[in-house]
Amino acid sequence: MTLSPSESDTTETVPGPHPLQDFADAVAGAVGGTAEILFDTVKVSVGLEKWTGAHLIARDDLDLVFFSFLSAIHWATDVAVGDPLNVEVEERIELISTVGDLTEGHRVTFSTSLPVENPSAPTLVEVYAGANWHEREAAEMFGISFEGHPDPGALYLPDAFEGHPLLKSFPLLSREVKPWPGKVDVEPMPDNGAGDKPSTENPGV
Amino acid sequence: MTIDHDTIRHMSEASVSVELETADMTLNIGPQHPSTHGVLRLVARVDGERVHDVKPVIGYMHRGYEKLSEVRTYPQITALINRIDWVSGYANEIPFMVAAEKLMEIEVPERAQYIRLILTEMARISSHLVFMGSYPLELGAATPLFFALRERELLLDLLESVTGGRFHPNFNRIGGVKPIAGSGPTQKKTPQDLPAGFFAETAAAMDRISHAVDQLEDLVAGNEIILARTKGVGILPPEVAAAFGVSGPNIRGSGVGFDLRKVENYLPYDRFDFAIPTGANGDSWDRWWVRLAEIRESVGIIRQAIQGIPSGPLQSKVPKVIKVPAGETYVRAENPKGEMGYYLVSDGGQGPYRLKIRSASFSNISILPWILEGVLVPDIIAIMGSLDFVLGDVDR
Repeated sequence: MTLSPSESDTTETVPGPHPLQDFADAVAGAVGGTAEILFDTVKVSVGLEKWTGAHLIARDDLDLVFFSFLSAIHWATDVAVGDPLNVEVEERIELISTVGDLTEGHRVTFSTSLPVENPSAPTLVEVYAGANWHEREAAEMFGISFEGHPDPGALYLPDAFEGHPLLKSFPLLSREVKPWPGKVDVEPMPDNGAGDKPSTENPGV
Repeated sequence: MTIDHDTIRHMSEASVSVELETADMTLNIGPQHPSTHGVLRLVARVDGERVHDVKPVIGYMHRGYEKLSEVRTYPQITALINRIDWVSGYANEIPFMVAAEKLMEIEVPERAQYIRLILTEMARISSHLVFMGSYPLELGAATPLFFALRERELLLDLLESVTGGRFHPNFNRIGGVKPIAGSGPTQKKTPQDLPAGFFAETAAAMDRISHAVDQLEDLVAGNEIILARTKGVGILPPEVAAAFGVSGPNIRGSGVGFDLRKVENYLPYDRFDFAIPTGANGDSWDRWWVRLAEIRESVGIIRQAIQGIPSGPLQSKVPKVIKVPAGETYVRAENPKGEMGYYLVSDGGQGPYRLKIRSASFSNISILPWILEGVLVPDIIAIMGSLDFVLGDVDR
């Protein structure tokens, strides 16, 4: 069976230079960051002080005019939902944004690290107008404050809502308020002593 | 005849005394309004017929899929993401599957890729047909709705015959498409390929759809009222669209010939011959026209695909319990509404560590405050409708 282009791309990620290597190096050199290629995704990490500047260079010099998205990842070993990470990580919030061009299909994911306590980053609204809503979403979901944002305020959540739902420390409330509905029909297993505890510690699993 | 907005403004100004200070009025549209495609609320500050500014209020449909994905396994997430853009549920599955397959370094069999491609294009036509029907309806023309939905039924029947679902197919599996019907020890497992007669029925449906597209064009493009209400209304310059992340037919209406099917390798689109229709003026009319032209291109792609579909397995070998190796990637696809992508972070477990869902409609309607500033009140509906969004795709 012949390999389709997409298949050959993924197999090439391990040996030899990746076809995107030149582009990744060019972006990293221009913005002063470090590039890595993660399964055909070019990710360039920059320091927080270069965050706005990197996007300006991407837009004006690299022709990456299309704003795709901005979001964050909460890296934490202690989690209230889901499976904990297998490896110890330094707890931090990774701010990511992706911009692309409208000709060749090149795209770059920029990444920078924020502290977990009072995370704050400069706004990108002046560079990419579309960052407005994405930053409002990241602000309420991760508690990041974006300095200079023209229209801060909740996008999805009610005004009185407390907490930042996409932080790993935030439990899935619906399972705390109301247990899994299917659970009432299930008789506890004989060796499961108390019988009340769900089989996994984390609610929502 | 086209309506000259300046003339109307001058007329309305002439009848009102200049000394009379009219206070701005707040006009609340939605959350329950037929033209908001779900539950979207617009708070417009208007001065007479002119809109000062518009503040969209979203979040009524927010279901927290990104959080929910962190406590679900990869196969379970397919069921969730079907419901993001429910008008083209099938298309939502593809980038997520491709992202997981990339991390697992799985090769999808060619036949499965072709089935994915055919069904994705069917989802695209079906989504565009909903737009073809609902947009004229919002402008006061009811007839196109019946033409469009009648033909969409053909596609939904075909989708149902393959996947079992009309709106939420939940048909893709990591490594291919659903290979076996029936599960568990009691049910008989039968290999499930495309149903008998699928190609003939698809070919017939494509003929009917291309005929219906001609009819729709006659019906709408010859309608003077629709032309007057859409031409020159809601002009979106390409650089503004790009900065806001407006994608898909909306940015192509502004003359940008960019289509992720041509530049990303998520499905074997490079083997197909199709054009990228673009508009010239970036107005509401161009966005309507681009979608009409895209239906024709998708019909062409499906015709080529059913001719060239290879035989072979539907599913590559995958472990019984899906565990995705640690890694992260962003995979995006050209969905009917625009760029849909998933930033998938895996820590090697059975579910994602983090799944960022980049949906097209969210960025597409973030342009509303910009594009509605200074327009006339009736144009709100004409412009909003031309952006073709679904609130499930906005709120996720």
